[in-house]
Amino acid sequence: MNLAVPGSLRTPWMIVKRLAAVPLVMLALATMVFIAMRMLPGSPATSLAVGGGAASQSTAEEIAENEARINEALGLNESLADQYTTFLHDVATLDLGRSFYGGNDITKLLGEALPATIELTIAAMLIAVLIGMVTGVVAALRKDTWIDTTTRAIGTVSFSLPWFALGVLSIVIFGVWLRWLPVIGRIPNALDYHPFTNFVLLDAILQDRPELIWPWIKHLILPATTLALSMAGFITRIVRASVLEVLSDDFVRTARMKGLSGGAILRRHVLRNSSLPIVTVLGLQFGSLLGGSVITETVFSYPGVGNLLINGIMQRDYPIVQGAALAIALLFTLVNVVVDLLYLALDPRLRKA
Amino acid sequence: MEIRDLRVEFDVPAGRLPAVAGIDLDLRRGELLALVGESGSGKSALSMSLVGLNRGPTAHISGEVRFGGRNLVAASEKELRGVRGRDISVVFQDALAALNPTQKVGDQVAEMIRTHRKVGRRDAWKRAEELLGEVGIANPVQAARAYPHQLSGGMRQRVMIAIGLANDPAVLIADEPTTALDVTIQAQVLKLLKRLQAEHGTTIVLITHDLGVVAEVADRVAVMYAGRVIEQGTRDEVLFHPQHPYTMALLHSVPRVDGPHTDRLPAIAGSPLTGVTRPSGCAFAPRCAFASAGCGDHMPELLRRYGGSGHLDRCLLDEPARGRARAGSDSQAVAP
Ligand SMILES: Nc1ncnc2c1ncn2[C@@H]1O[C@H](COP(=O)(O)OP(=O)(O)OP(=O)(O)O)[C@@H](O)[C@H]1O
Ligand code: SF4
Ligand SMILES: [Mg+2]
Repeated sequence: MNLAVPGSLRTPWMIVKRLAAVPLVMLALATMVFIAMRMLPGSPATSLAVGGGAASQSTAEEIAENEARINEALGLNESLADQYTTFLHDVATLDLGRSFYGGNDITKLLGEALPATIELTIAAMLIAVLIGMVTGVVAALRKDTWIDTTTRAIGTVSFSLPWFALGVLSIVIFGVWLRWLPVIGRIPNALDYHPFTNFVLLDAILQDRPELIWPWIKHLILPATTLALSMAGFITRIVRASVLEVLSDDFVRTARMKGLSGGAILRRHVLRNSSLPIVTVLGLQFGSLLGGSVITETVFSYPGVGNLLINGIMQRDYPIVQGAALAIALLFTLVNVVVDLLYLALDPRLRKA
Repeated sequence: MEIRDLRVEFDVPAGRLPAVAGIDLDLRRGELLALVGESGSGKSALSMSLVGLNRGPTAHISGEVRFGGRNLVAASEKELRGVRGRDISVVFQDALAALNPTQKVGDQVAEMIRTHRKVGRRDAWKRAEELLGEVGIANPVQAARAYPHQLSGGMRQRVMIAIGLANDPAVLIADEPTTALDVTIQAQVLKLLKRLQAEHGTTIVLITHDLGVVAEVADRVAVMYAGRVIEQGTRDEVLFHPQHPYTMALLHSVPRVDGPHTDRLPAIAGSPLTGVTRPSGCAFAPRCAFASAGCGDHMPELLRRYGGSGHLDRCLLDEPARGRARAGSDSQAVAP
């Protein structure tokens, strides 16, 4: 598998273009979400009207009446075109509206959930890169030994494990049986955390509350590892192939000719040059990582965007689903810009503007 | 450096490939020895094995490379690391591939220095800039900060040479250092090597296809065929009084010794031995126009026969036959 990206695609100019495309991508996505939500069977009014308290005792007439009232209150009785225009206007002004349930400001909800998801995915990526790099390098250096075979087998298995199963399994083992780690939420209520940026690490520093950090990490370990494992398996494969390729490059022979030790050759010459495909993988895999985070957040009741999204879908809470989807898309785009920047940092050959 | 019965064999699907099939060769201090021979004759395998660069699970290296009171073939990797880059260094053919694309050129030179000497980062960098100047790079301060892809082919090859020289090694092996370069740059790089030899007293092994290059810079020449040296002597002996029909054919296939350089020699009729099985007699016999029944019996020894005192060859022909061969090599050097 060759994941090298043609140089001309990764110039600074490319990044500018990519950034310029963000609004367009967001518009397209917003439209898709808008349509998809309204194509789902059921409507918010129905679920509100039925779910609203003593639903089982309501007559069909009462329900219909409720529905009409709710539809009007939520603006759902307007034509689709009007709804769409209002929606676009709101998105453009960053006013994502209020939740149909409880009327919470969605921008505010996302301000809380997005940092949690960013923490989770970054932690997962760090874990995945660490595991994937170490195992990939070891497998490459021990090519065709039992170590290589075993590592690759484990990598392949973990690559194909479903997040849901993995999450539930880790909850049962580490949370229920061994009781090593918390399995629910992000930070215990007892700690009295007053979010400022909503990034716990940052807040701990800004508010000088180091006691927040360890509980936060403990809550992050299981969901982040669950999320990381499949990506790690993928990275193992990529790193192994890429290290083997770099090892056969002429400049590694030059490094040996200089009298460098094996460790120095690995650190100074092989790792950097074989990390380019990893960066590509991070970019490509980030999308599926976000998909995984939706499931993982649900399994671990982790208060992130994915959790918000799932609840929104279940309750047909259009504004929440739209907001969450837009937030996820924005995150995805930003990560890909970061990937481009990483490319430029790692490979000087691409730095011609 | 004294090389004795050096053999390098590689495991290949068909069996064991003798890339170097028993070589005896002395390197004299301060000389420039040219190693010539067709592609696949084992020139690179020989030079890599001097410092164990082609060691590996599929390589079998035996014999002796005596250097500084040690046998480098038997030396441990750790011992060899102390020799590589400090006492013996190698300049590789394709400088673009041989340089790390993600490291500044100055760092790559400085790394060579810091591997063998306790020198600070800053001092090593300063020395790297000096070295780049010494090998004839016009703007060394700027070049040191460049990445390999930002330099021209000639500059890159100079950088490789600067790396090779960084620790003022006793022996510098240059494996076809000029094949990728155009003629003017080629001439400049050769002049540079010659100057280093004169100024630093460096012993240089120059691997080349190009007899024009040999004529210009070599003190002595060793001609390789199928993993063996088949003729060796001073430059004038080998170029003007060749003893071995293969050398004659090589010379014949060059239009003029002082003519324009060519990247590759025009092919000699027939193909070189590259398989795992070798004939019992003279390895050149299948392509030799002068082969007789006796040539197939056993491999002729590398001996002084009809040349000067240090002029050795592996051919059974007698003196008059050699004279006829030399005269005839203009019309029919080798059998089709
Ligand atoms: N690592 C290796 N594994 C297997 N075979 C090898 C290896 N290195 C060299 N050989 C083989 O050994 C023989 C000699 O190769 P070598 O590179 O020494 O030739 P050369 O004289 O340098 O040729 P060229 O002029 O093309 O560089 C060739 O047949 C080559 O295929
Ligand atoms: S020994 Fe015989 S076959 Fe070999 S080069 Fe001399 S004449 Fe030709
Ligand atoms: Mg070669």
